Amino acid sequence: MTVFAEVVDWGAVLDVIWVSLLAGVGVTAIFSIGILAASRTGDLRRSGQAGTATAYAVLTLLAFAAVAAAMAFGIVVMTQKD
Amino acid sequence: MDSDLILIIVVATALAFDFTNGFHDTANVVATSISTRAMAPRIAVGYAAALNFVGAFLSLAVAATIASGIVESDLINEQIVFGGLVGAIGWNLLTWYFGLPSSSSHALIGGVVGSAFVAKGPDAVIGDGLIGKVAVPALVAPLLAFVVAGLAITVVYRIVGGLRPGSVTRGFKAGQIFSGGLLALAHGTNDAQKTMGIIALALVANGQLDAGSDPPTWVVVSAATAIALGTYVGGWRIIKTMGSRIIKMDSAQGFAAQGSGAAVILAASHVGFPLSTTHTISGGVMGAGAAKRLSAVRWGVAGNIIVAWVLTIPAAALIGGATYGITRIFGTGAVGPLVVSIAAVAVIATVFARRVQRGPVITAAEGG
Repeated sequence: MTVFAEVVDWGAVLDVIWVSLLAGVGVTAIFSIGILAASRTGDLRRSGQAGTATAYAVLTLLAFAAVAAAMAFGIVVMTQKD
Repeated sequence: MDSDLILIIVVATALAFDFTNGFHDTANVVATSISTRAMAPRIAVGYAAALNFVGAFLSLAVAATIASGIVESDLINEQIVFGGLVGAIGWNLLTWYFGLPSSSSHALIGGVVGSAFVAKGPDAVIGDGLIGKVAVPALVAPLLAFVVAGLAITVVYRIVGGLRPGSVTRGFKAGQIFSGGLLALAHGTNDAQKTMGIIALALVANGQLDAGSDPPTWVVVSAATAIALGTYVGGWRIIKTMGSRIIKMDSAQGFAAQGSGAAVILAASHVGFPLSTTHTISGGVMGAGAAKRLSAVRWGVAGNIIVAWVLTIPAAALIGGATYGITRIFGTGAVGPLVVSIAAVAVIATVFARRVQRGPVITAAEGG
């Protein structure tokens, strides 16, 4: 057990675990919210609720922009690899 | 003359490994996109090949060369590298033949460990490095991706569960184009560098490059081209295993597997923790399937894949060690590597010819 403690960078392992959970689940969830909002936008427009439809359209844009920003950050991580 | 010839053989073998790395790992990037029909097979591999090529130029962090911290790098010579490369190519081709996604990085590490062990004895292998840099990451990568993809798909189904399937499918198919692209870039950045590192090591050993220097442009371009060509050729057998034999996935599961895989790979890259792309994506695919229904995962196929992972390092080490032993029969010059190269090309050509005679291999048309 001591050997494992010495040769494995457990701090790095923990960092990978929490960042992966946050990014993996977070980005997927935000993208899903984007799909949900886009779908609601169409439905509300068809039923004549322009105000609420606009709010959902803004939410759609924000969600997809957040996902795009996360992907751009991923590319930055690649370029800054040690 | 002799040292130039051995350098040329090592460079050619490194590029051959890079090519097998590309076609072996195509599945990591495109399998989910093809099986959910987010992209047509040929377009998917072309897209992945182009982004693998671009990815190879994103970072040139090749200072940590092959098997660094796992074998004593000052003991490595060109014949040991050659043995390691043949070990990795041999295992990559064998696992491709059986359609099993296994780690090209582990195959390379195993090949070099076996070759160095035969050449210099047990002192050449750093046991702590094998545990810390290979064994533990090999356990962490698939388990973490499994859990992240499982949680991600559970959240996705909760959010979009009440929507019309058509719009959800279209949305996630579009998302897969971007998540697959991110994976292809990450793959090009990580894996083309391994080949650049090997060639740089051979150039340093040959006195044509100062230790610690950036690799010459021709090395970067040739490594990027080899991995991109390999990706474009496509390892269709592995694509089929990864895309449809582990689970039958929908586009949301495909996106969750790719997104989770990319998150794990990039998080690991950010903190300098080495993970296998193959282990990560395979774990993500299994997690996205198991979260929907445990019986959705074909555990027999998953078991075969895990057995291949466990065997990768010892099997590649065996081939690498045997190759080094054979080359040394012919002395320390270029004759040994030359004889092994000719024999290996002949064996590969014979196997492919027999395969072609027995009928078509799995191709783009049936890859999905």
